Amino acid sequence: MKKLTLFVWLMVILPVAACGQTEPVQGLHESAPDVHAFTNATIVVAPGEVLENATLVIRGGVIENAGTNTEPPADARIWDMEGKTLYPGFIDAHSDAGMKDPRVELDRGDISWNPQLRAQLKANSEYDPEDDGSEQLRTQGFTTALSVPPLGIFRGQAAVMSLGNGSVSDRVIRPEIAQSVSLRRSPEFGFSYPTSPIGAIAFIRQTLHDADWYERAHSVYQSNPEGLKRPESNAALNALEEAVRGRQPVLFEVISEEEMMRSLRIADEFSITPWLRGSGHEYRILDVLSDRNLPLIVPLNFPDKPEVDSPEDALNQNLSILRHWYLAPENPARLAAAGIAFSLTADGLDNPSRFLLNLRKAVKLGLDPVTALAALTVNPAGMLGISDTHGTLERGKAANIIVADGDLFETDAKILDVWVDGDRFRVHEPLTNDPRGEWRMVSADRTVEATLVVKGQPERLEGTITINNQEVDLSSASVRDQARRFRADFPGEQLDINGLVRITASISGDELYGWAEASGMDRMEWYGERTAPAEADEREHPDITPREVQLTDIRPAMEYGREAPPEQPDHILVRNATIWTMGPDGILEDADLLVTRGEVVEVGHNVQAPAGTVEIDAHGKHVTPGLVDAHLHSGVDGVNEIGGAIVPEVRMGDVLNINNIWMYRQLAGGLTTAHVMHGSANPIGGQNQHLKMRWGHLSNDLKIEGAPRTVKFALGENVKRVGTDRYPETRMGTQQIMADHFRAARDYQTRWNEWEQYGQGIPPRKDLRMEALVDILEGDILIQAHSYRQDEILMLTRLAEEFDMQIKAFHHGVEAYKVAPELAEHGAGAVVWSDWSSFKIEAYDATLYNARLLSEAGVLTSLHSDNSQIASRMNWEAAKMVRAGMDKEDALALVTINTAKLLGIDDQVGSLEPGKDADFVIWNGDPLSTLTKAEQTWVDGRKYFDLEDDRELRNAVEQERSQLIQIILED
Amino acid sequence: MMNFTNESNIGRSGLERINSGCKQLGNALLVTALALLLSILALPALHGQVPAPSQTDPVALTGGTIYTLTDGVIEDGTILFEDGKITAVGTGIDLPSGTKQVDVSGKYIYPGLIDSYSQMGLYEIGAVDMTLDINEQARINPNVRPEVAFNPESRHIGIARSGGVLITVTSPGGGLISGQSSAMMLDGWTWEEMLLKPGTGLIVNWPSPGDEDNYEDELRELRDAFADARAYRKAFRAVKEGEIRHLDYDARWNAMIPVLDGDVPVVVNANLLRQIQDAITWSEEEDVKLVILGGRDAPYVSNHLASKDIPVIVTTVLASPTRAWESYDSRYNLPARLHESGIRFAIAGAASAPYANRLPYEAGAAAAYGLDPAEALRAITLSPAEILGFSDRAGSLEVGKDATLLITDGNPMEYSTQIEQAYIEGRKIDMSDMHRQFYEKYREKVRQAETRR
Repeated sequence: MKKLTLFVWLMVILPVAACGQTEPVQGLHESAPDVHAFTNATIVVAPGEVLENATLVIRGGVIENAGTNTEPPADARIWDMEGKTLYPGFIDAHSDAGMKDPRVELDRGDISWNPQLRAQLKANSEYDPEDDGSEQLRTQGFTTALSVPPLGIFRGQAAVMSLGNGSVSDRVIRPEIAQSVSLRRSPEFGFSYPTSPIGAIAFIRQTLHDADWYERAHSVYQSNPEGLKRPESNAALNALEEAVRGRQPVLFEVISEEEMMRSLRIADEFSITPWLRGSGHEYRILDVLSDRNLPLIVPLNFPDKPEVDSPEDALNQNLSILRHWYLAPENPARLAAAGIAFSLTADGLDNPSRFLLNLRKAVKLGLDPVTALAALTVNPAGMLGISDTHGTLERGKAANIIVADGDLFETDAKILDVWVDGDRFRVHEPLTNDPRGEWRMVSADRTVEATLVVKGQPERLEGTITINNQEVDLSSASVRDQARRFRADFPGEQLDINGLVRITASISGDELYGWAEASGMDRMEWYGERTAPAEADEREHPDITPREVQLTDIRPAMEYGREAPPEQPDHILVRNATIWTMGPDGILEDADLLVTRGEVVEVGHNVQAPAGTVEIDAHGKHVTPGLVDAHLHSGVDGVNEIGGAIVPEVRMGDVLNINNIWMYRQLAGGLTTAHVMHGSANPIGGQNQHLKMRWGHLSNDLKIEGAPRTVKFALGENVKRVGTDRYPETRMGTQQIMADHFRAARDYQTRWNEWEQYGQGIPPRKDLRMEALVDILEGDILIQAHSYRQDEILMLTRLAEEFDMQIKAFHHGVEAYKVAPELAEHGAGAVVWSDWSSFKIEAYDATLYNARLLSEAGVLTSLHSDNSQIASRMNWEAAKMVRAGMDKEDALALVTINTAKLLGIDDQVGSLEPGKDADFVIWNGDPLSTLTKAEQTWVDGRKYFDLEDDRELRNAVEQERSQLIQIILED
Repeated sequence: MMNFTNESNIGRSGLERINSGCKQLGNALLVTALALLLSILALPALHGQVPAPSQTDPVALTGGTIYTLTDGVIEDGTILFEDGKITAVGTGIDLPSGTKQVDVSGKYIYPGLIDSYSQMGLYEIGAVDMTLDINEQARINPNVRPEVAFNPESRHIGIARSGGVLITVTSPGGGLISGQSSAMMLDGWTWEEMLLKPGTGLIVNWPSPGDEDNYEDELRELRDAFADARAYRKAFRAVKEGEIRHLDYDARWNAMIPVLDGDVPVVVNANLLRQIQDAITWSEEEDVKLVILGGRDAPYVSNHLASKDIPVIVTTVLASPTRAWESYDSRYNLPARLHESGIRFAIAGAASAPYANRLPYEAGAAAAYGLDPAEALRAITLSPAEILGFSDRAGSLEVGKDATLLITDGNPMEYSTQIEQAYIEGRKIDMSDMHRQFYEKYREKVRQAETRR
């Protein structure tokens, strides 16, 4: 008992206690020979460089030699590698090795105020060797991994670690080589700022500015501290210096192609060096990636089969899901075909032991095996700066070797051993004494003769025994290789023996020395002799059928996605339409609209068409400007940053996502422009984003260039009810916190002005929140304020006036009509719902006549949807105002020119006037009639929606869906 | 001639209005003057509408275009009603002495619109629980009746009437069996006066098939409830026949007797393909009259629905598809597809009381996307009355039915149309509503501000 305890204690403690080369030896010195020669091997020295029948020599954990004429040194242990293939050990360029149980709370020392900022953590210092995952990685051929801290937004510094034996100290290859960053908060740290993707990106920006400031502030202070206030000490900001100066890469771990592009935008903005750990969706942005030579790490996290078991289940599967299931395994091949270099990682797999399976699938689907090997060896070695020591089996490199019994990439060959720094790790042990084959058995007294056949897999043997021409299946059979012991049972009945017969034998090469026992029969000694050898295990090619269906690239990668953006004809002439110009020309009957390269050139009668004009006969039809929605929340990853009451530093433009079916539907309803807004959780919320419905483009290309910045304010119930411990809880507090922050912003401005004037001492810190508030104060950011009740609306106009600001528009403004004269006097506009009402107490005094009364009082008024569905029928929203007594043209202005004016983009959109963007809709009738629908929607002189094309697209979508569902069912 | 069926005509008529700028200005002035007058007369009191007195004298609306729904469109026609009932519709009608004649030349007369699935009277302010009387405790509530909780002072009533909706089928919600719906007329001092027909349907929320085991459990619960109710009815009849002396009263199963007798349909809220099919099979086993409520996937099983003649109350046509691959207009054109398949249907909204006035637009959207406008109109008038069993009183303009009707300047489904006057059971109702009252009150504020300047 005591012995056992000691043994267990040693097992657990020993690897931790043995600490590098500085530790004195306790007891006797162990010096096992560390010279090995692998002979007769197929050696893949480097990707594409293969030696047949060659010898590899390692000494002291390092490769001494590799070649076809290499003689094994005299002191080497010889390993006959006949039939085996040696590969360089794989390098996992993004791993959680040693990071499985990370420290959550950092509660000592000069930590950051924000728990998501943990940049000072070092993977090598935090590395937990217990169950660190290295064994599982080795089974897949990995001998080296980049260990990446997993928690927070700034997560800490990654280290290249050996996946071999020994203490952490022995295993650190390169510490502190990259700062790990996530664009998402870790929930482990509670629900505090930043709570959202927008907040996380704003926080990354602020932190990078802070790290820059921190270095400069400290350097000023250190050179002459006298008379200066000591700048804060902050281990995390201190640790970011290398990254922010571009000397240490920043490793972004992303979950989507949108996040990948967001990471690149941050890297460009701050001139930092990005490394990217992808999500498996890279095939969707090959054009973006092929322009840049980026260190890219790609997972093989192929999605599970979508649920299509029943036809009803299949009904609910969207094309984006089906497509990604089909295309994810093609991701590596598509990247390679586009000439994009990458490394592969086992990270992102639920079960890392699927890595090789998925790798082979990727190879089967077109990934060149040489490229695949490079992605696991020389590419990550180069990226991680360890090419001198890792990545190939060349002389002088670390002895990191995979021993496989065949081609790992194109067959289901097994990894037998991996060697890490010269230490052997058994992965899959082949049988030394294989019981499989055919044996002639004879009992010791020679009364019984039998034929034994053993086959199957070593872990699942099967076979037969034949006595007196009577063949019986073995009911069980097994082998213990180290003991060289074979056992089997078979039922005796058919052989006229009672009960079960159990045999056992020691395997000695081609002989069996056996013994048997059966009921009603004497125990019996027997002897066996091999009459036929075991059949050699065939290395089979993985069972993946080559693909017949080639899916075209579409953007977005979902229903109704486009193969390319629509053409922009040089000239378009829409003829003979009723044109609602929404400009001074009013409504023109039987008129023409001429567009040249995306711009309106002329609206009028008998317009002459230049040569090569695309003409559209719109007789009997109506043409309006593209509709504009002043308030929308679709097409973004997250809407609210709840972690603070004042968050104007967050930007909706950071989190656009084109995988958004609403955009297509909105186009189908004639919407061409939207103002995508932050939520209403904060008195001063985030900055909004103007965008056009450029379906088929990348998210960044949706943004309207030259549009002014706008910010969301919010009043009333929503800002009060966020949490129980967040200021404000009343409308009174709402006013106070807004005023307070504007005063603080003035103070901030003063500090900067003084520093810029005198330039002495420690530079002020760049505070993006304060910068945004200053820009709001200066009128550079337009205020769009969510509001319901008249008291709060009036409060904000007065508050704005106190600070010489103007509110551009009150949104929702359910009671705006009650203070219409005050709004007119202040110069604020109103952006209201047509008829939303009574969903909460502050919406109870709603009236259908809100927009009308506001307009009559001289308030510039617009409608908005605040709803992805309603945004697809804004013409009908405007039409409701006709029932409320508004003139038709005034009603349409509520969703076109007025909206554009309130959003500050009326120089570009909102009316059909020369010089404006060619955003227009062709309707089959009066756009304000209940019977009318949009037939064509054009943005920038490109046709993004056409009712006839839509019918074809529907069929194509249906066809592709059913095709993919069939493939899933057959798979 | 009503131009609703002619798109180019309606376009032109719309434009005539737009282009007549002078007339516009005139109108605006008129409106302002009217508002002024009203403001002097009506201010400062903001209040609910005063219910109209019962009809005393015969009333004849003459010279209008009458959409009878059952007997076509009558140009320059007359509709006569007495004691709240229609006594004549047509041309060249002899009017009894003492008839009050109303000249509605150039106007249109329609049956009052019916919102066949509504929370009117039970819902006041969404986020204020105490103003909601929709979901009762527990899962089996067949005995629950909405009319007794119907608030005649609800603001939403007047607003619905301004949209042409004169009857709502007010329905409880929640649980597995929510309760019974009742048809309510949107005018009266008390719910008793407003009740048109109690027990128009037993509302059942068909379980969600997301989790197979849970789905099985909930269906068992539903079948058990009907089995218990059936056992109760058997015992109840035995008491009546004198076979047994006494039966302990059970409010739930007692309330289900008319459902089991086939007098009250089961209105099953079911949107998914499986729910619809499973509900049909269930209703056949239970031998109850089925109405599908919702019916988003109904076109996928249209043959099944048509072969069993199961009607559908389509909720929210003005909606987007729930699946990304479905075409953008698949909800707009759902009624047209049901009609093509020969399925009887009504169009309702999303039940929300404040938005009952959107009902005509729900039907209008269906008309924009392929449904014959006459059928669209039927889906918010006669069809719901037929499906829910009160077409003897409402839904069309026929002799013997209630004089519950609208006088308009166009088709009520068209946005530009004004509902000028409504009658419920021959009572001429107050056409004001809270929206207008707020407008009028604060228009006065604007006027005062202008005067100050």
